[in-house]
Formats: sequence, structure tokens, C-alpha cells
Amino acid sequence: MKNKIIVVFLFAFQCAVANVEVDSVSNFAFQKMEFFTDFDFDCDACGCSASGGSMGYSSMLNSNFVGLRYFKQSYTSKDGIFANSPWIDENFNTLQIWSKIPLGKKVQLSALIPYHFHDRALTAGTESIKGLGDASVIVSYSIYKTQKEEALFVHDLQLGGGIKIPTGKFEEANNAGTVNQSFQLGTGSWDYLLVGEYVVKKESLGLNTMLNYNFKTKNQKNYQFGNQFNYGSTLFYLLDYNALKIVPQIGVAGEVFESNKQYGEKLANTSGDVLFSKFGVEVGKEKLSIGINAMLPISQNLSNGNMEANYRWSINLNYVL
Amino acid sequence: MKNLLNKAIAIIALSAVFTACTNDEAAISGTGNLGVEFDNSFAGNDLILSTQPNITSNDEVLKIEKIKYIISNIVLTTAEGTVFTYPKNKSYFIIDESNPKSLIAKLENIPAGNYTKIKFGIGVDKAQWELGATGQGDFLLEAQAAGMMWSWSAGYKFIAFEGMFTAPTVSDETSFMIHTGQTGTDYNYTEVTLDLPSKAIVRSSISPIIHVITDLSKVIDGTNKIKLSDNNKGGMGAMIMGGATLPLITQNISNMFTVDHVHND
Repeated sequence: MKNKIIVVFLFAFQCAVANVEVDSVSNFAFQKMEFFTDFDFDCDACGCSASGGSMGYSSMLNSNFVGLRYFKQSYTSKDGIFANSPWIDENFNTLQIWSKIPLGKKVQLSALIPYHFHDRALTAGTESIKGLGDASVIVSYSIYKTQKEEALFVHDLQLGGGIKIPTGKFEEANNAGTVNQSFQLGTGSWDYLLVGEYVVKKESLGLNTMLNYNFKTKNQKNYQFGNQFNYGSTLFYLLDYNALKIVPQIGVAGEVFESNKQYGEKLANTSGDVLFSKFGVEVGKEKLSIGINAMLPISQNLSNGNMEANYRWSINLNYVL
Repeated sequence: MKNLLNKAIAIIALSAVFTACTNDEAAISGTGNLGVEFDNSFAGNDLILSTQPNITSNDEVLKIEKIKYIISNIVLTTAEGTVFTYPKNKSYFIIDESNPKSLIAKLENIPAGNYTKIKFGIGVDKAQWELGATGQGDFLLEAQAAGMMWSWSAGYKFIAFEGMFTAPTVSDETSFMIHTGQTGTDYNYTEVTLDLPSKAIVRSSISPIIHVITDLSKVIDGTNKIKLSDNNKGGMGAMIMGGATLPLITQNISNMFTVDHVHND
């Protein structure tokens, strides 16, 4: 019951604040145009994720924890619309408080509070942004969990819903000239998440599969990032040396993006998809655990080929609840 | 389990509620601004003046030093078919690659609307020219200052495309100059109509920019293939400013524009 109340509350809150005014008359429209030409910015194309969406919200080692996670995403994207437009490097760095807190026997609350520090090497010079990102709260419910101790296969199926709050700043200007529309601290919008996670274990071997779908709404600048579908499957193995637990893991993770929209008009070259391989290890001792993960793309088509994901890696320190 | 199902349904129902929370668009009224940006390129590559070698299908290599053209008589059409003709006395623009500020034709007081089509001329139409020197307003001086006039009687240069080239038969870098405009037999003004890939949403608070790509390879390497080396009379440089080639170039330049995308910022 508690989760339902939280969800209702969050949705009601969204409705109350969603009715924002469209920007007042822009007297600076032409100055803005001059700004475009002065810097010879070309125009927008892609919009892909800086959220690390398919990195998941879970630890393979412990189901409940609070921790600190750092992740880096490296992209190269085209700064312009021509064949000879330069490719630029983009680095997305995120330091995130992440947690999965039990609220009773079957309900769990995930809270994610990111701090981003991104940079990109534009032809005109390196541009950096940093600050609080969009925080997310997800409530999940354990639909089915094997109770018998002696069962050969242990299943755990969780479904949940969540909300992403626009605590990060969305700067329209960051989208003015360049390909990667996700060079932002936040989407500026209230977004909603549907999350599913299924874990099956047989003795020391386990498989974690997660799906999540992000419904993204229009922000105050009438910009709407495309909905995003994330999926991933991770095979893990528990090496239990009594005091020390080591969990090597390997898997795949993918993201599918719909087109971004501005004033309801679809923006060209903003949809895409990417599939990563991922591998890592988590080591736990008593109440503490440390995890390292790396992701390398297997296949991708982001922004009509105008953007490439290079790699992602993450490190986290968790305290087991 | 049944209880859970109810919860799931409740969540889905709520998602439907919040999507209904978004506010509707205000009624379309008033006026706004619109920019038409011309982005010069050569066969898919961004144009870089003077240094970049650009190769045609006839294996001629062009280094473009100057590209200027007159854009005129802009007409916008909405999705509903409403046609807005930009006031003729303000509808002449010189696009000059060497002057970044000139690359956006800035239109003001456009009736708010969702535009899906743009039409414009390349050059100055005959009716305007026939108004005589006094009928030209400030644009005459502007065109003279930009070197886009021969003389009043000879008229405007519609496009000035100049640089150096080499060809299989011309190994030394040789100059070329292509100027279109009226000749004794042809007036050579042309118009193009382009569909916009997405709506240009003009409002008092939204000033769209229509991003046009100008593919300069089309000038000589379009529907009509023209070799600079064939016009290099006596090795003094390829000068195409008149004669039978000019209507062919006019036909080519009417196909060199495409709309890449529209910003609604």
C-alpha cells in the first residue's frame, strides 16, 4: 500500500507543477541568430543518453545497499552536418549516490542522486558543465520470490515504477549547435520509469535480467527527449570465501531511443540504439562491497551514425543494508 | 497476487492521467521572426574558402575563394496553404560566405503560423530591375558595395563564384569566375520552392531558423555538366559570364538548395 501512496503523491505533484508558462517574448531572437553565425555552429542532430540507463540499478552481490558510484561514458560525435565536419570527444562523468532500501518485506525503494561533470572538446574550445543531475526515485515490488531454502532454482521477480525529477539544469543553448543533445545536466522534464528485474539463481550461478522504460515529457523549453528503453542481462557467479565474497559477472546491455521533439516536431537524427557487452566484478567483505564494471559497444546506430559510444566504466562502493 | 494486479493497473491508470496534464498550445496569433540560414557546401562537405580542394565529376579541382549570391522574393506557405509573401522592398539579401553575418536572411513580422514550404529567387527579378535605379532603394548601394553589380545598365550579378582550378588538361592553378545575370538573350533569374522537413513554428516567442544547405558543386556539376577547362580560353582563366552556358548554370543553381532541418528555438 505504501508504494501506491508514494506513486500517487509523485504523480499529483507533477500535475501541479506541469502547467508552466511558455517563455515570454524573445526579443533576442535575432541576437541569438547572430550568436549562431558568429560561432559558426551547425545544427542539432542527435539525442542520446547521458543517463547511463542500461547500467542498471542493482548490485549482483547484495539486494539492499546504499553506495556511491562513479561512472564515465565516452562518446565521439560529429560537430556539424557535413561529411567533413569534425568529430569531437565527449566525456560524461557522473558521481551518483545510489541505493536500494527495503521498505517492508516486499517493497524496495531505489534512490539515485547524480552529480555530473561533463566536458566536450568543441572546435571552438573545450566546454564543461557540472552540477546536480536529475534525481530518480523508484519503488519496486517483489512479485514472486522463491521461499524454499532447498529449492534448486531461486527466482526473484520485481516490478516497479518511478519518477525522475528535473533537479538537473537543462540549458537550451547546449543543444544549439551540436550533435549530442544529451550534453545536459538534466532533461528539464518530469520523466516516469517502469522497471522490471528478474533474478534466477542456481547455487552459485545467477542471471540478472532487467528491463526499464523511460517515458519522457516535454520540458519548459518545449523540448522533449525521446522515450528510452533499456535492457540488460548479466550472468554472475558467487565465489564465497567466507569472509570475502567475489562475484565476477559478464553480460549485455542495450538502449533504444526514440526521436527527440521540440514543440512537438520530431528532430532529425535523434533516435538510435546501442548494444554493449559488459563485464565486471564485485567484492564484498562484511558490510562493505566494491564493484568495477566496464562496457564496450557491440553494435550501435546513434544519431544516424553521427555519434559513437566508445566505452563506459564504473566503480562503486556500497554499504550493505 | 490479485492485490498486486490492482496496484499495477493503478500505476498504469495514473500514467494516463499525467500525460493528460500537459498544457495545450495557445491560439496562433501575432507575428514573429524567422531566419533562413544558408550553409555553403561542396558535394556533402562544408565549404572552406581558398584552401579546400573540391573535386567535380570531371576531375576538375576547385579552390573556391569567393561565393556570393542574391536571395530574393521569399514566400512562405503554411500547412493549411496560407501564403505569406515577404514585403518585396525588404526581400533582397546578399549571401556571402566570407561574411558570417550575411549567411542568415533575417525576416521580421512574419504572421504566426506553422510553415511547411519556402520559395525564393536567386538573383533580382526582372520586374524589380525594370523599376530603374531609383526603384531599387538601399539594395542598389548594398549590391554595388558587395560587387554584385556590373553597371546599372548591365544589371545585377546573381551569383559570383570565383577561385582557382586545375583540370586533367590544366595542370597549373588557373583562375575561374562564374557570374550569372542577364545577357542579351536570357534574364537568368530563377526561383526555387523547397518543402520543409518539419514545420517552422513562427510565434512571438519562437523564431525558427530554416537551415538551407547550398551545394555549390551543382553550379557546374549539376544536371548540366560544365567543364571549366572548356571555358579556359587561351589559358587566361575560365570566365563564364555570358553566352549559351549561362542558362545551363542558371538551371543548375536552381537545384543546389536543400533544407536540411528547421530549428524552432
